[in-house]
Amino acid sequence: MTPLIPYPVVDLGPLMKGLVIGGLGIFHVFIAQFAIGGGMLLAYLQWLDMRGQCIHGRRFIDGYFRVLVLISFVVGAVTGVAMWFTSIQISPQTIGVMVGEFHWVWATEWSFFCLEVVAGYLFYRYGSRLPDRTRLSLLLLYAFAAWMSLFWINGILTWQLTPGAWLESRYVWDGFFNPGFWPSLIFRTITSAATASLAACVLINAVPAFSRDEKAKLIAVCARPLIFMLGMPLLGVWYFATMPADSRSWATGGSVPMTMFMTMAVGCSLLVGLYAVVAILRQRLFINGATSTLLLALAFVATAGGEFVREGVRKPFTVRQYLYSNAIAPETVAALRLTGCTTNDPYPLRNAAAYPTQQLRLGAKAFRVQCSVCHTLEGVNAVPELAAHWSIDQKRLNIAQLQRTKPFMPPFAGTPEELEAIVQLITWVEAGRPSQWQQSHDPAVRQQIARWLDEAGTAPGYELAAAGYSADGGSRRR
Amino acid sequence: MNLPFPFGFPAATQLYLVLLVATLLVHMVFMHYVLAGTAYLACGRLFGQRQAADCGWQQRLVDWLPFATGLAITAGVAPLLFVQILYQRGFYTANLLLSHRWMAILPVLLVCFYLLYLQKSSWIARRAWVWRIGVIWLAFAGFGFIAWSWTENHLLSLDEAVWAELYAAGGLRYATAGLLPRLAAWFLLAFPTLAVELFWQGWLCGEPLDRPASESTRVLGLAPVQRLAVMGLAGLVGGTVALVAYAATLPAETRAAVTGPVGFWWLSAMGLGLCLQAGVWGVAVRAGRLGRPLAGLLTAGWLLGLAGLLAVREVIRLEAVDLEALLPQHERAAGIGGFPVFLIFATLSAAAISWCVVTVRRGLSSRV
Repeated sequence: MTPLIPYPVVDLGPLMKGLVIGGLGIFHVFIAQFAIGGGMLLAYLQWLDMRGQCIHGRRFIDGYFRVLVLISFVVGAVTGVAMWFTSIQISPQTIGVMVGEFHWVWATEWSFFCLEVVAGYLFYRYGSRLPDRTRLSLLLLYAFAAWMSLFWINGILTWQLTPGAWLESRYVWDGFFNPGFWPSLIFRTITSAATASLAACVLINAVPAFSRDEKAKLIAVCARPLIFMLGMPLLGVWYFATMPADSRSWATGGSVPMTMFMTMAVGCSLLVGLYAVVAILRQRLFINGATSTLLLALAFVATAGGEFVREGVRKPFTVRQYLYSNAIAPETVAALRLTGCTTNDPYPLRNAAAYPTQQLRLGAKAFRVQCSVCHTLEGVNAVPELAAHWSIDQKRLNIAQLQRTKPFMPPFAGTPEELEAIVQLITWVEAGRPSQWQQSHDPAVRQQIARWLDEAGTAPGYELAAAGYSADGGSRRR
Repeated sequence: MNLPFPFGFPAATQLYLVLLVATLLVHMVFMHYVLAGTAYLACGRLFGQRQAADCGWQQRLVDWLPFATGLAITAGVAPLLFVQILYQRGFYTANLLLSHRWMAILPVLLVCFYLLYLQKSSWIARRAWVWRIGVIWLAFAGFGFIAWSWTENHLLSLDEAVWAELYAAGGLRYATAGLLPRLAAWFLLAFPTLAVELFWQGWLCGEPLDRPASESTRVLGLAPVQRLAVMGLAGLVGGTVALVAYAATLPAETRAAVTGPVGFWWLSAMGLGLCLQAGVWGVAVRAGRLGRPLAGLLTAGWLLGLAGLLAVREVIRLEAVDLEALLPQHERAAGIGGFPVFLIFATLSAAAISWCVVTVRRGLSSRV
């Protein structure tokens, strides 16, 4: 059993924690893809240059690499570390599990970071004074190391959604080479190549020394990797097929935001792919700085949409069937319904005096443990707003049977008293936080909540649906 | 426990402790270069443009600090990983308690990194001298803030008794008697590292550091080696004083652990390392040059001192945490597969890195 380790909970005010880590993650992923694809593209350009098939290739490679170093080596490196630190701020239990299970994989990835930085910096510093073969060797090593960092992290990220046989065996390589590993790896490799190509088009246009004809020739060469985008639909379908059915359903209509982000990712990828294949590669049209910047921006939006969906469709889990979004393990829910989720929390409330009753203070503590990772009280995704038009009994029922109310929510993991305290807290906030508030201690209400909790059970929503439970409160099997 | 660190601990704990100390040592090599290098440059800039131009060390630092920062960050990833295995609860809790204040180190690091690139750009070279002073002092202030935050975070992770109270107060600051002396010790002991590294950088660049210096290379009447020696000695003396002051703030049982069987040999190694460095730098001050054998001895002393310091740091931490509660976690982590894969790829990556360096040196010499 994975125990609920009490950590102090960070308060980000009106900001939803998921958005913070998501926003940083999207930014980091885009820069990392630029670095990975950039290495591959530059090695290809160097090879072409050595064969006399790329005019100004050498000059462009050196300029592109300078940009790569200034962006990827600085922002990429710092945001990489920031991802770790931010994960600790958002959900220490989740990152703790990930580090515990995959620390050797991460350590292996680190060894490739070292190679990437050294090979890259040597090229940056001495590349212009080196013979062609040495340049090519350095670029190949840099590209390989960068791609290997993708290889290793991809296994950990896909494990979160599709842990596969790991759930039974707890064997690290079962988790690493999970069902989503290969489609995701190939998809991300193509995305990296496309990002680097589009960035190259922007940079080529930014060099005033190149004539229009020279720019056109360089763009024609740099855009070649975009052809691989033709494989994206097939890979997308493959990746989708590896997803659990309920996760797939969020992105295909089950959840409006997920579906919108999915449409955004697919739509932007389609626009970039079509323009690249038809206009740039087939008709050999010249793309100027504005167009290439727009295409790169669309690629960013596609990445953002894709990453948002990848993070979102894991719900209600952060590690599928192992840890819920609120860092509570499925097998501990039943125990927490008896002992309470706040009982072992040693951290007091920061502003306890602001709550007029003890019940509201309990509600604030329970909210902190169970809800605050995705919700706020007054801000983004605020529960009082989501439940604004529910009656008080509706709140009790909907929270007690949370996994039925919204199947991407985890089951409630606390006592009826804690649940009632959360309901009171939400209602109190809705009422504008008055200084006087009546405590609710009606035993009949507790009993009703306990019944509702028992009816819903402790299994996640998709399991209830699969077992034939209906949302009308019954426990009928179809 | 009567065996020296890390012996005497269960095998799994030993493994992670060794990996933590070894990777932290590599991180220190670069981190010290960045921290002390920025400070050296910041102070050196105050002496004026002409003297800075005469001082080869300053030019070298301007040139290499961005790369060293990249290496420091990259090398820092591994100890950050192993600290999460060894002391997860304490490390995470301290991160969370300091919260926004702690997270501020990331944008600050980003800004400092770019300031170092700006420092070597032609744009800043065209600006007034005061710009260069401003940029490097800003970078130094940023790195100082990061060092302070790390020290605070580390000390807070060891002080479980204050966690709940600190959280309730929401102050995002942890002030304790050990903070300043510990920070001072790490900061000042970065200078001996920088001195050794600058010496070898000069050596690799073909500077005649083993011969009497010409007048043109003297700054403030000091030969290049003498300047390094003064910096190294000042760091050693100041760092030792700060270490003693920090030791005075430790609980008696922690001091007993450091001077007892677990820490004694490492404490001795640290002392021997510091003395070796001081001795060699003392000779260099008098002679105005440093030959290769003595430089080898200096380097051995430096590595010994640093390894001893890091081991003693862990002995102090192990004394402060509830180790019994952590052991099952270490045992479980060690039982998870993947260690051989890490060893294989780490060896291959190290070989590839060496190959890169050798190939680039050959490539450069073939073009000369």
